[in-house]
Amino acid sequence: MFRFDPYSPEIDADPFPAYKTLREEHPCFWSEDIEMWVLSRHKDIVMALNDWETFSSAKGNLVSELPGRQGNTLGTTDPPRHDRLRALIQKAVTKRALTHIIEPARTTMRKHLDALKGREQVDFVNELSSKYTVDLIVYLFDLPKENLQTVRDKAVLMVQTDPQTKQKGAEHIAAFEWMQDYAAKLVEERKKNPGEDLLSQFILSEIDGEKLTDKEILLTVTTLIMAGIESLSGFLTMLAKNVTDFPEVRDALVADPSLVPDAVEESLRFNTSAQRFRRCINKEITLHGQTMKKGDFVILAYGSANRDEEVFPNADVYDLSRKPKGHLGFGGGVHACLGTAIARLACKVMLQELLAAYPNISAVDQELRWMSSTNFRSPLELQLKLG
Amino acid sequence: MPTVTYVDFEGQSTQLNLAEGMTLMQGAVMNGVEGIEGECSGSCACATCHCYVDDAWLAKIPEMSENEEEMLEDTASERKANSRLSCQIKATADLDGIVIHMPEEQE
Repeated sequence: MFRFDPYSPEIDADPFPAYKTLREEHPCFWSEDIEMWVLSRHKDIVMALNDWETFSSAKGNLVSELPGRQGNTLGTTDPPRHDRLRALIQKAVTKRALTHIIEPARTTMRKHLDALKGREQVDFVNELSSKYTVDLIVYLFDLPKENLQTVRDKAVLMVQTDPQTKQKGAEHIAAFEWMQDYAAKLVEERKKNPGEDLLSQFILSEIDGEKLTDKEILLTVTTLIMAGIESLSGFLTMLAKNVTDFPEVRDALVADPSLVPDAVEESLRFNTSAQRFRRCINKEITLHGQTMKKGDFVILAYGSANRDEEVFPNADVYDLSRKPKGHLGFGGGVHACLGTAIARLACKVMLQELLAAYPNISAVDQELRWMSSTNFRSPLELQLKLG
Repeated sequence: MPTVTYVDFEGQSTQLNLAEGMTLMQGAVMNGVEGIEGECSGSCACATCHCYVDDAWLAKIPEMSENEEEMLEDTASERKANSRLSCQIKATADLDGIVIHMPEEQE
């Protein structure tokens, strides 16, 4: 009998064969392992994303939710409150508002690449994508320069889940609590000494003359740090993996760096780091002969939608010339990723600089260890040959 | 299924039948209609799905939010009185037959 358990290490490593079975044979699947529905076809997920009144985020959006986030963050509220919260940050993160991050991003990427001079091999995760991402978030949020390695470690830990107990483990909850304390101190400090950074702008905001609640501020700031650091570095790693796994793609990008944005889009489609998010059924709905009842949880498998042959022919092939529009690499609808413009800029600069410095960078034979997570997918380490 | 007509900058039209509830942006990007980008995936956070709504339909579409109003300040092509973001317009029975025109550029 077919099973789908997003806690299993096999799904962390390679969810795509299971996604194919889901799409073809069980488009609206009840997973006994986790007692949740799973939607896997592009069309169905887009429908769900467009219908927040039926597919609500107010009970959380992580498959294994962290305590207290429900109703208090962008990802875990529904319109109209969600839209007002989001509008507070939106303007600061549009493409045009972010041109100021391009040069700092380039400088930091070059610095971390320079540090590798004379080396034959690098762990892309710990020596490049993590450091680069942390630097970028420090710049955007004006974070204190201390404890950055710990901030990164906790951000990565808090998104993980325990494959044995099928829930968050004590260390994951502890990491989340650590991050909340870190955010609380930051919020307190910014209230006293507000700056020009993104967090200060958010903390000082009001909605229709009404101040945000302390809990909303705290949990939203916690989530922004987590997403900024973990999701972005996870995806940068997947992008580097794709470009080195497919040397013909790398060579095409070296020959014509203007194609770098096309690689970013195809990687977002091919293996986005945000593989799955969760919704809660708020109004009974029948789909493919299955009735999902009010209160049932349902997983939207973006990673599967992006391999749906109905929308993307030869979906399992990485095709640099595809220019995939309508992929769900950032989700979609009202809750689509807030950081799309930051992510695209960060990816573009990273890849341009990496290939300019190491045009022959290549994959090495290795057994990848994948992060244990019901939502996100990226390896914990990625060795690459530099020369 | 509501019918939507997309008219590109050169005047070529494409007619699509969209599932109820799908946005006009999604209809375009998922069916290969050029001229609509949808960079932010439909969260009203960019202006790359800018369109001009045919005057006959303008009064029938839902009013724009403050956020859409702000995003429209940043369109690549000229903003006009009938400018809207196509990610904020859902295909519904009321809008069956709607015509939208694409601008010259989106980025």
